[in-house]
Amino acid sequence: MWSVIISHLPNWKVCAQAILSLVIAIGFYYLNKYMRSLVEKKNASAQKARKGQHLAAHTNLSDHYKDNLQAIKQAISSNSDVHFREFQIAELHARATLIFVDGMQNEELISKYVMKILMADVKQAASDRSHLFDPLELASYLQDEVLPVCEVYEAAELHGLNQSILMGFTALLVEGMPHALLIGSLGMTTRAINEPSSEALLRGPRIGFTEVLSENTSMLRRQGYSEELEINMYEVGTRIKRKLVIAYMKDIVNPDLLQEVRDRIGKINMDFIAESGYVEQLIEDDYLSPFQQSQNTERPDRVISGLLEGRIAILLDGTPFALIVPVTFSMLLQSPEDYYDRWLPGTLLRMLRFFAAFLALMAPALYISFISFHPGLIPTELAVTIIETRQGVPFPSLIEVMILEISIEILREAGIRLPKPIGPAMGIVGGLIIGEAAVQAGIVSPFLVIVVAVTAISSFSIPVYSAGITLRILRFGGMLCAAVLGMFGTILFILIICGHLSKLKSFGVPYVTPISPFRLNDWKDLFLRAPLPFMNKRPDMMKTQDKKRR
Amino acid sequence: MYRCKNLLTLLLLSSLVVTQGCWSSKEIEDLSVYAGLALDVGERPEVERNLEREGATYYKKNLLTATIQIVPIKSFERQEKSSEKQLLKYSNLRLTGDSVFEIMRQYSTRRERPVIGHHLKVIVVSTKLAQQNQMDQLMDFVLRDNDIRPSCRVFLSKGKAYDTFISNQPEEVPAFRINSMTQNRYRTNKVMKDVNLTQLDGLLHSQQSFLLQNIVSTKGEIEFSGAGIIKGETSKWIGDLNQENVESLSWIQGTGQGGVIKSYDWRNKNITYEIKSMHSKTTAKLQGDAISFHVAIESNGRLIENWDTKENPSELAYLEGAEKVFEERLTTMLDHLMRKMQSKYKVDVAGFGKVLSIKYPKKWKSVKDNWDEVFSQVPVTFEVKLTITDFGSSTE
Amino acid sequence: MFIRNDDKITTTQTSIFITDTVLGAGILTLPRGVIEAAKTPDVWLSVLLGGFIVIMVTMVMVKLSQQFPNHTVYQYSKRIVGTIPGGILGVCLIGYYIIIAGFEVRIFAEITMYYLLEGTPIWAIIIPFIWVGTYICFGGINAIARVFQIIFPISIFILVLSYFLSIRLFDIDNLRPVLGEGVLPVFKGLKSTVLIFTGCEVIMTLVAHMQHPERAVRATFAGIGIPFVLYLMTVIVVVGGMSVDSVMNSTWPTIDLLRSFEITGLIFERFEFPFLVIWMMQLFCNFTSFYFNASLGISQVFRLKIHPVIFGLIPVIFITTMLPERINDVFKLGDTIGKMGIFLFFLVPVLLTVILLFRKKVLNHHV
Repeated sequence: MWSVIISHLPNWKVCAQAILSLVIAIGFYYLNKYMRSLVEKKNASAQKARKGQHLAAHTNLSDHYKDNLQAIKQAISSNSDVHFREFQIAELHARATLIFVDGMQNEELISKYVMKILMADVKQAASDRSHLFDPLELASYLQDEVLPVCEVYEAAELHGLNQSILMGFTALLVEGMPHALLIGSLGMTTRAINEPSSEALLRGPRIGFTEVLSENTSMLRRQGYSEELEINMYEVGTRIKRKLVIAYMKDIVNPDLLQEVRDRIGKINMDFIAESGYVEQLIEDDYLSPFQQSQNTERPDRVISGLLEGRIAILLDGTPFALIVPVTFSMLLQSPEDYYDRWLPGTLLRMLRFFAAFLALMAPALYISFISFHPGLIPTELAVTIIETRQGVPFPSLIEVMILEISIEILREAGIRLPKPIGPAMGIVGGLIIGEAAVQAGIVSPFLVIVVAVTAISSFSIPVYSAGITLRILRFGGMLCAAVLGMFGTILFILIICGHLSKLKSFGVPYVTPISPFRLNDWKDLFLRAPLPFMNKRPDMMKTQDKKRR
Repeated sequence: MYRCKNLLTLLLLSSLVVTQGCWSSKEIEDLSVYAGLALDVGERPEVERNLEREGATYYKKNLLTATIQIVPIKSFERQEKSSEKQLLKYSNLRLTGDSVFEIMRQYSTRRERPVIGHHLKVIVVSTKLAQQNQMDQLMDFVLRDNDIRPSCRVFLSKGKAYDTFISNQPEEVPAFRINSMTQNRYRTNKVMKDVNLTQLDGLLHSQQSFLLQNIVSTKGEIEFSGAGIIKGETSKWIGDLNQENVESLSWIQGTGQGGVIKSYDWRNKNITYEIKSMHSKTTAKLQGDAISFHVAIESNGRLIENWDTKENPSELAYLEGAEKVFEERLTTMLDHLMRKMQSKYKVDVAGFGKVLSIKYPKKWKSVKDNWDEVFSQVPVTFEVKLTITDFGSSTE
Repeated sequence: MFIRNDDKITTTQTSIFITDTVLGAGILTLPRGVIEAAKTPDVWLSVLLGGFIVIMVTMVMVKLSQQFPNHTVYQYSKRIVGTIPGGILGVCLIGYYIIIAGFEVRIFAEITMYYLLEGTPIWAIIIPFIWVGTYICFGGINAIARVFQIIFPISIFILVLSYFLSIRLFDIDNLRPVLGEGVLPVFKGLKSTVLIFTGCEVIMTLVAHMQHPERAVRATFAGIGIPFVLYLMTVIVVVGGMSVDSVMNSTWPTIDLLRSFEITGLIFERFEFPFLVIWMMQLFCNFTSFYFNASLGISQVFRLKIHPVIFGLIPVIFITTMLPERINDVFKLGDTIGKMGIFLFFLVPVLLTVILLFRKKVLNHHV
């Protein structure tokens, strides 16, 4: 009995391996924890810094015209594009100044409806007034009776006034008036509304967001009349402020989700938010994940259908990309066209995309594991062909695949930078010539060129560009796993991804949700796109207030 | 994008590490795929004798010669061949030794690319070898090996097994040809149901006699001809069935998918029956201790060839007459087979034992061990019913 | 609540959890194991009978667990029989789970080394496997259940598809005669058919994690029913396709069956490839489930935090895996696990139920 136990005791080598496996696992754990803690610390320290900043002095404008003018000049006149135009309001016997930034003022509005009226027309109206020199009344008088301008605001606080001037308002200071009047809207040149270039569709609206927030929100409003669509404004950025808007359907969205989004936006702390990508990265759940946790889109129709599913849209001024949160895995492979076409083509295309995503992710890994590890799992005829074509290829399959994959990635990257007329031509020439020449030179096998080409094409068929990038990154991981352990490595890789996906949440919604946790109702819009009459419920996963679509 | 590029450099670096660490990685082009394995009685080819004279030898008794057929051969080899105006797609490699596995490994001393068995399609054993050695010993390695798939098919060859792996058509791989020929069962019932390694394993293990398709070869031409009988107890080859016997066997088992019966009518003119369907039912009877079998055969078919210009196939009487002729012919064929099985070789290769074991498991248990002897005394009766359902597109 | 942090699983997830725990190495070893015991084609009857017995016993387990909502077997066994005996029972169960986990990994490694990665050292296969298991276990029961749910439909689909394709080899005569040697062989086979259902003990911990514990009976029924049907299919297809004699002669009959045919013209000419792939995933689920249950058990019996326990089990499982030296030892270990399983099957639920009833009805204790 004893000898049996002795003989079965593990030898030191096994024990060493066991301990090593434990140590490495713990190492990974702490590395992960450390990297996460880094981000949290940074956020926390930034929060503190901001609290100190809030104590900026509030100074109001005084009654003295000269003092006011002096204060404003001191603050902003060092900018060469700030103009001060002084003039006399004849009848009131008051000096007045218009302050504006060159290029942002509305020239016609100012000269025709402000200066002309103040300098000339105010006479008749003012002649029968006796209370004109009451300084408080003057502002309302000008607003109510003199200036035929739609947008006029009062500004009493100096700091805010300066900001508004720099944002493009024209300020009017009048002698004896303790307020300034801000006149005119922000005049800014904008670009025309174009078809969204990153999400082209054959069928569907050709409208895309622009860089102007008000236009974008109006585009949302113009999708159709609804009292439920609510748009809330926030300001983000500590140094340069920008407007950020969240849009949702009041009676559909889950209030907890809304609160979560608001909280996270409130926590954004950055001196300047240049693009909605900043917002995306600052509010996401897991920054180490290769998967995006909010969807960006240029299409108002996509946003509005997201809102109707109970999601929330985040729009930022100055970028045509809106964010939709929360996002789930299935959304990355959906295109609005699926819904615009009839359900059969929609379903077919969607299945095709799932298959393409699988290929884009796994094809090179499978190639490596078959060629280098499991020649026995390929059909015989194919094996014979591959052997024939791979004669004389000097590299192991991993290096071979890497060479071609990386050159394709570089080509793709170069294609984006190239000027529009050259881009496509360059892509074709580069692809064809490199592939052909590599085969001719015997660096890669023709079979591999097919594999890589199919992979590349598949990754283009993914409707969300950033999801395509995710797959491209992961593809390399898959290739490495396959190169070490063949099919087994590939499977481990898939399992890791599955594990990661099932742990990942986007704003509390499990990332792979219709599949797991299983929600049969939502399967109508997963691999299949059920006929519209069947899609009479909102997705279960969003836990909306109003479940039914009809 | 930045993230992506960073990753790329990382991946490139780690890929260097990875290529050092992949234990099982062997590129497919660095391996030799063999599609066929032929086993012959140990007889060293000339090259080997010369090599051995030079001292290339090891401890062995030269029990068998194994030939493997490697596809595709390396390109430069092919170029050499092409100068001789012969563009072969395969190369045969022959070695002599005792253990099949040892020979497999010995190939590595002759070729730079080691052989892998994943794509082995056919194994051909020469009857001479099968007569001298037990089949289960010869097949032990291929059954045990992890590379060789059990879907591999096993054949016997009348002459040297090596000869079946030579083709006079250079673009053709003989192993693939043999493999594909087994699919022709729907054309003629002279082609037997193929036996793969899994089935062979079961047959060898159950100690019952069975058949393997015979291949006859001459000068690069091969033909499926009859079958060799492997006796259950000894698991050695004891004799052959000819093509007609194989046909009759398919009638007994009812497994034929197509084929012909050719006979001569009362004017001694050639008439041919095309089998459209074939059913048979074998029933075992046990009266007291006496076993007997009854086989009922039914078939539908077409009169497809008629050399008798005096008769009109559209007439029912003639068709019925022809049916009788065919039935007689079939009965004669069956008789030949039964005589061969019961008298000449004293084996049951038609699955009568299985029928008995299903119907009377107790009785089967008692006769199982010397079933072949018992079977040679068992009366088997036949009932043949052929129906000519149509006569093709010409009436006369 | 929109963002949930509790570790509750749905009824479907419970079913899949049980299925994935039960459906493991048995797919490969069952046909030979049961045929070796019974030596007749009637083994499918043994599976049928074994399945029914197991379902009965699991029902007892469910009923017992439902008496103690939100308590796992490790916790309520202490309440029924006292802290120390309950603890010992818990330790037995934990040891059992660890050994099974090690066994499953070993079988996995053996298959992988034999069919896929010849020449790779065994540790290079086992350690990454355990690591990935650790990663998933870290997410708690919810993440595990979700992973199972993703893998489950794929694996079942491919499993059934491979069986369906192997119908071409199926010969009903291989399954006849029915009861040719009486019913005795059926009972002989029963021993090894009960073994393959080892793992259904996890229901005793799962009920505590269910969102709706009152639906546990239904969940268990489905959870045992699916592997039951699949095992039945396996036995019928394998024996029907290969005959009793070759099954007995084959180390991994199911793989041999799938290797016995080629479907020319399809992309997969060889169907053992998808089969092995899904089987690997299935075995991974299997392993993860036992791994998690063992670590949960340790953390509950000894009142430890679960994360260090999961880490601590890595070397333990690794060494357990490496203990058997040859494949015979592995199979022997499999048999031993089966026997332990039967012991624990009856000891834990039946004994606990009897004691509980005794204390409640006779002694009028409030447990």
